[in-house]
Amino acid sequence: MNYDQKILEPNESVNMTDSATTAMNTESGTPKMTARHVDVFYGDKQAINDVSIDVNMDSVTAFIGPSGCGKSTFLRCMNRMNDTIPIARVTGEIKLEGEDIYASQMDVVQLRARVGMVFQKPNPFPKSIYDNIAYGPRIHGLATGKEELDEIVESSLQRAGLWGEVKDRLDDSGTALSGGQQQRLCIARAIAVDPEVILMDEPCSALDPIATAKIEELIHELRGKYAIVIVTHNMQQAARVSQKTAFFHLGTLVEYGETTDIFTNPREEKTRDYITGRYG
Amino acid sequence: MNSLTETKRRPTDWQGAEMQKRIAGRYAAERRFKAMGMAAIALSAGFLGFLLVVMVGNGFLGFTQTELPVEIDFPAVTSGASPSQFQGPNAEANLQVMGLREIVNSSIEIQYGPEGTDLFSSGAWTAVSAKILADPDIVEQKTAVNLPVASALDVAYKDEGNPEAEAKVSELSGQFSTGFNWNFLSNSDATDPMQVGIWGAFKGSLITMIVTLMLAFPVGVLAALYLEEYAPKNRLTDLIEVSINNLAAVPSIIFGLLGLAVFLNFFGMPRSGALVGGLTLALMTMPVIVISGRNAVKSVPPSIREAALGIGASPLQVVFHHVLPLALPGILTGTIIGMARALGETAPLLMIGMRAFIATPPSGITDPATVLPVQIFLWSDEVDRGFVEKTSAAIIVLLLFLLIMNALAIYLRNRFETRW
Repeated sequence: MNYDQKILEPNESVNMTDSATTAMNTESGTPKMTARHVDVFYGDKQAINDVSIDVNMDSVTAFIGPSGCGKSTFLRCMNRMNDTIPIARVTGEIKLEGEDIYASQMDVVQLRARVGMVFQKPNPFPKSIYDNIAYGPRIHGLATGKEELDEIVESSLQRAGLWGEVKDRLDDSGTALSGGQQQRLCIARAIAVDPEVILMDEPCSALDPIATAKIEELIHELRGKYAIVIVTHNMQQAARVSQKTAFFHLGTLVEYGETTDIFTNPREEKTRDYITGRYG
Repeated sequence: MNSLTETKRRPTDWQGAEMQKRIAGRYAAERRFKAMGMAAIALSAGFLGFLLVVMVGNGFLGFTQTELPVEIDFPAVTSGASPSQFQGPNAEANLQVMGLREIVNSSIEIQYGPEGTDLFSSGAWTAVSAKILADPDIVEQKTAVNLPVASALDVAYKDEGNPEAEAKVSELSGQFSTGFNWNFLSNSDATDPMQVGIWGAFKGSLITMIVTLMLAFPVGVLAALYLEEYAPKNRLTDLIEVSINNLAAVPSIIFGLLGLAVFLNFFGMPRSGALVGGLTLALMTMPVIVISGRNAVKSVPPSIREAALGIGASPLQVVFHHVLPLALPGILTGTIIGMARALGETAPLLMIGMRAFIATPPSGITDPATVLPVQIFLWSDEVDRGFVEKTSAAIIVLLLFLLIMNALAIYLRNRFETRW
């Protein structure tokens, strides 16, 4: 893949249409995650207002919208990371394969293993590259022996496209890698626990264009193996990587549909204004 | 808009005299600040240097003893003692029945006259017994041994003693020699300054510190972790935080009274023991560890917690796999400060009976013990002139203890330090 070309020509609407059409045609069965009438409150302040959305296995879903519109908040509800904020309160219903993730019998620890997360700023553990990847499988007991663990580490790094760069220095600290490598390490770390869904919260906002292109390519490759939800400020990025796009504004979901439709023929006035750069 | 700003502001004259004066004033202030800072550091370094010079100068003499030679003709005074008696497991028992004290005293009287025993330290014969144990063959020979002199003579020889002793020193001048006072490192408290040693107090300090660390460190760290990572933020935890901060500022003697009331009177633990001392000092050290521990835990970046939570680590795993290792260097720094304070503490221990005269080193946490600072306090209170240099020597031992403890803690801290 030619990265330079990708960066110089962000408008890939022709290619996009093909893949999006494929995605639409193959869309069948139940969605991976469903959200119905979700409200989120921080204390008295309502951050999310009645959001309903489906996330499919075979498509990348992008959340776009101006700063403070609640897209990250909603993303963090999908693996209950908002639980760590004491004043946050979530109502409504979010289901992972039909199971209510806010039900009392839901094990949060297991949920977060099934719904992995990649954060805005690369946050590898200050441990070796190997231990960064092996940590998740270790705490969940996914490997029975050293060999199996080695294999998980290798395959995860390979999927994240990092194996070739780090295979000779697995004992080096994960924090010694460059920013883009760190972010791919974080993606590999999420993959290592074999999740069903990967949530990415602006994964490229701290990276340079080349590292961004690598991550985007990685997202393309991971599509189909995991349901991927990505929050992004960069509309070209949403257009490049996603098949479905949701536009958030002031805590509400304004429009949700095929990425091509949202970018070429939005239904709502607000979406059109945002996409054309009239505000945001 | 443009015309508005142009009319309101006059142009800035960077080269004008007023501006130059301002700049010169700023540089002058900076030079003054640097000079004051350097003066402050020089002053504190001067104090430290003065303290070290005085302590080492005085204390050095405490590690030496003045000796006089005594010739002991073993074959003449013992009835056929053989070297084999003083080897193996029965050596000590055979020495006891030998009547060594009388043998040494009579040898002294032969050489220095009937009043000769007054010249020597009352425990001088123990030096001979140590010699026999080291080399049993000497009991078949006529040997000259250097024995420690009485305290008054020791002081007179090293420094300035009473006139009587000074006269004796000039009378015997030329015969004196100076040896290293091994007794000081191996003995405990005694009434004769020539016989005192620091080992008992050193061991007492060591055991007390271990008890303190064993209690204060885990409790302090757990409290810090719970308060930072688990406790809900409400008025109760605010109250706890304020109480802990206040506890760290409570005068230490109050902790002594607390220890007396709780551990001795209520729980009936053995008086004067390292156990009670350690518990009391742990009460004092804990708040320091909790406060520094909370700060260290707080400074762990939240992104690490999120990263661990995000791949399904339980809150406990987040704390023990990620937060605690990263906070450990900071926690250890607080522990060093707390333990150093506990090691130098005297007041609370006076309250729980650790100021007793303890002539045997403690062998457990319940044995009567004393600690280095209390021993220093006790010796500095003695009338006998010979205790002055012993006090200084004990201070050197205490400072060395402190230095070694801190060095160890700093080594550990650097080992756990994470490179980012």
